[in-house]
Amino acid sequence: MKTSIRMIGIATTFLWIFLISFFISAVYSVKDLHFNMSEPQMGVNQNNEVYFSLPITITNNGFYSIGSFMISTGILDENGFQIAENSTVVPVIRKGENTTAFHTVMVNISDLLQNSQVNYLVNDSEFLVKAAIGMSIAQIIPVQVATNLTVPWGAPFYNLTFGTPQYSDFNTTHCITTIPISFENHAFFDLNGTIQIKMYNDSDLLVGSGETTFEVPQHSPYNGIVEFYVSTTDLTETGYLEVYFLTPLLDYGPLVVSYG
Amino acid sequence: MVEKNGKPESIPRQLVFRALKATLKGIFFYFLYFILWTMFLAPLALIVPNLQGIAETFLAVYILLMVIGEFTHGTIFQYFFDAAKALFIIGYLLLSLKGGIVSLTYQEIILTIDLRLFLMFATLLSLLGLSKSVLQAINYLTQKTEHATI
Repeated sequence: MKTSIRMIGIATTFLWIFLISFFISAVYSVKDLHFNMSEPQMGVNQNNEVYFSLPITITNNGFYSIGSFMISTGILDENGFQIAENSTVVPVIRKGENTTAFHTVMVNISDLLQNSQVNYLVNDSEFLVKAAIGMSIAQIIPVQVATNLTVPWGAPFYNLTFGTPQYSDFNTTHCITTIPISFENHAFFDLNGTIQIKMYNDSDLLVGSGETTFEVPQHSPYNGIVEFYVSTTDLTETGYLEVYFLTPLLDYGPLVVSYG
Repeated sequence: MVEKNGKPESIPRQLVFRALKATLKGIFFYFLYFILWTMFLAPLALIVPNLQGIAETFLAVYILLMVIGEFTHGTIFQYFFDAAKALFIIGYLLLSLKGGIVSLTYQEIILTIDLRLFLMFATLLSLLGLSKSVLQAINYLTQKTEHATI
């Protein structure tokens, strides 16, 4: 019995030494893990979605391989509506290896503007970004670092204002209507596209329509006009305008604005 | 009185010898902790709040149980304290590691470490230590009974 007890003691001691040295070396090898984030890339893909791509180079100079390396990002608006979500997973980063992963998040701005409760076309706001990086140290100790960030959202048509329609005679049946438009582009991208206006009288009858093109760099104001012909017989003192915004990044409309 | 090489050993001498052995063991364990702390654990203390307190409480209780175990050497109580030591390790690991999932918050950053696998192995090894103490106690009692019968 004494021999078996001694053997249990020796085995226990060795296993404790192995467990503690493995744990300490695994944790310690994290200091030799280097992350290098390159310049993020931004653009528009074929589905008119804005994408943000962040190239991350991971250099594992530690003692062990890293398993299940994962980056995940979720973007939510003030009301908890999920705007975008994506995860990038690298199954294994072997020791002494370099791995580059591209973490891409795509945002469909048209969907965002059409589906959310807040009109992000004209209102500045804040978005919540939930970011997390996870990995398995030595492929058996899962570790995760998570953070929440708030990022400002700048409205592309901030303070959108339609002036009072001005009418000038053209002929006996039609007149030229001029509607002043002004806004500020608070968005992180330049805006260029078309604003279409359809004018309806108080009997919901289309009296005229017109459009104008615009090109507004980010953080710049815009002041312009839309001119179009309207039938004087159908024109009433009050009515409403249906406004459509058509740009390469976003299509939005109709925005209904009353006049008169 | 205990006989050693045919000569009885006095109780004060035994106590001095055990105290010396316990002191040396205590110093050795503290020295081991000191090396581990300065080389590996000190940088972690910047991230983990109260890590030093946790480690030192563990060390103090462990050394205390070890010293008592040393003083009660040659009696059945030695194995009781060895078993207590194994149970203390299990309990302390379970409590200090919060069931294996450790979560630390630093400003807006939340760090979560899943140590359940480590905890499982540590608990199994402690259970092995506990079983060793139980076997030693059984062996001690068997031998004592055998001597008494002879």
